[in-house]
Amino acid sequence: MRIRTRLTLWYAAVLAVSLLLISGSAYHELAEQMERSHKVQPIRHAVYEASEIIFHVGLPAIVLGLAGGWWLTRRTLRPLAELTKAAKGIDERTLSRPLPHSGNGDELDELAVVLNMTQARLHESFKRIHEFTLHASHELKTPLTVLRGELETALRDEDLPAAQRERALSQLDEVERLSKIVDGLALLTKADTGQVKLKKDAIELDELVRDIYADAIILAEPAGVKVDLAACDLITVMGNAHRLRQLLLNLADNAVKYNEAGGSISMELRRVKDTARFAIANTGPGISADLLPRVFDRFFRGDPAHSADADGCGLGLSIAQWIADAHGGTIQMESVPGKLTSVTLNLPIPSQVSV
Amino acid sequence: MRVLVVEDEKKTASFIRKALQDAGFAADVCHNGNDALVAAQGTPFDAIILDIMLPGRDGLSVLRQLREAKNTTPVLLLSARGELDERVEGLNAGADDYLPKPFALVELAARVRALTRRGAGQSKSPLLHVGDLTLDTNTHQARRGEANFELTAREYRLLEFLMRSAGRICGRMAILEKVWDYDFDPGSNLVDVYIKRLREKIDAGFETKLFHTVRGMGYLMKEPP
Repeated sequence: MRIRTRLTLWYAAVLAVSLLLISGSAYHELAEQMERSHKVQPIRHAVYEASEIIFHVGLPAIVLGLAGGWWLTRRTLRPLAELTKAAKGIDERTLSRPLPHSGNGDELDELAVVLNMTQARLHESFKRIHEFTLHASHELKTPLTVLRGELETALRDEDLPAAQRERALSQLDEVERLSKIVDGLALLTKADTGQVKLKKDAIELDELVRDIYADAIILAEPAGVKVDLAACDLITVMGNAHRLRQLLLNLADNAVKYNEAGGSISMELRRVKDTARFAIANTGPGISADLLPRVFDRFFRGDPAHSADADGCGLGLSIAQWIADAHGGTIQMESVPGKLTSVTLNLPIPSQVSV
Repeated sequence: MRVLVVEDEKKTASFIRKALQDAGFAADVCHNGNDALVAAQGTPFDAIILDIMLPGRDGLSVLRQLREAKNTTPVLLLSARGELDERVEGLNAGADDYLPKPFALVELAARVRALTRRGAGQSKSPLLHVGDLTLDTNTHQARRGEANFELTAREYRLLEFLMRSAGRICGRMAILEKVWDYDFDPGSNLVDVYIKRLREKIDAGFETKLFHTVRGMGYLMKEPP
């Protein structure tokens, strides 16, 4: 039961009891008066008079009292409702925004102040985690540079025995993978704290899609995967060409990587009202429904059996989602395991360039 | 050709120097910004490799100081941050190129070579040759012996880039940047797949191979010895 309802009910009960008490004493008073003046049928008259008072004065008073109580509790609790609404919107990114408080020093105001202090502490912790990740990724780059340089210098030596050369090359591969992870992590951490500013221009999205389509054909060819572009509406969006290209290529790359021999990929770009909708679907093992909500999580690997041969850094889709977000868009994945997996990207088409 | 290497991390400085020496450059090393400024103002270098994060005076400040003093030596910035903003800031401060850490040494050598060659002018002929392969940069036609090759736009750009850098290893990042306009690693094996296709087109039917893979580093085209 809501506090407002509860308070109103209590209030009604109190009013009713006081009304009963008042009417009881009124009845006594009337009965005595009548007994003194008429002495005939005093009881019936007193009851009649008393109930008349109750019906004509008491009930309206109760109704008025209830309405007043309702209004009063509502007014008292309004800051609480506002607080609830504001608190609902709290996430990692809005932590720095304080909750509203009246400043009148009442209990609710005190609560808001305490909540704000808690929030500030949380914000501080989050900031420290982000800073830590960012520093860690920067600090990792120096030893990675050294490692890479040492390995390359070793490989330059023509007399290096074949077995050692093989070992150095495999180490070089791992250093490269590690570098990619560190880069991706630094990018996402900076994106989390709003430190990455994307320069946006008018981008012909259809041209970008056709470019990626051409790349996808080439990427898919060795696996015998067919690619087709079902539709490519002419659409201009405001965006960062590099990042959008990265996003599309990442989706195309996944569609090839997680496909099956002799499978297919279908792409399309369509205008749906004020939205540019890019969809890419691929055949292949797909992802089970329980894992689907986590595909955009950092370092998420769908099927452990498939992670060994796919050489990504585990951050591709997280980065894709960030790019979509940064363009005011959305990205979703659907999958029917064993049949079709599709990713849909929606980007807003700004009115000034959508001619 | 003499290059100044400004890098506080001793090991990194040492293999950069070694790689540059292997590539035929003479290299001087400084470990902090102030020394670098003194060295650059006292000696005419052909290029400067400048780390941004330096103790004392940072790389960008060194660079601004040099440019204010009308020193036009080409500068390649190195940075552990590798952010677009920083790249733009560096180029605005007067840098000629920018390389994020960790980098491949072939990448570094290629960029330094490009910097020192800048201004020296390239050959004006529209025809590029590697062995018996000819590429006409006007008509985008590739020919080898009697065979003519149909090239897509992307294949043409890739082949042109490799032929212009003939004899030198082209790192994957350099190819992505020059042929695809990516200035970050998109984490795809696009380059390898495209090279494989070019190879199938141009090398497959011939005895002498022009395309070579240098594992862990990149690709190169070179004439048979």
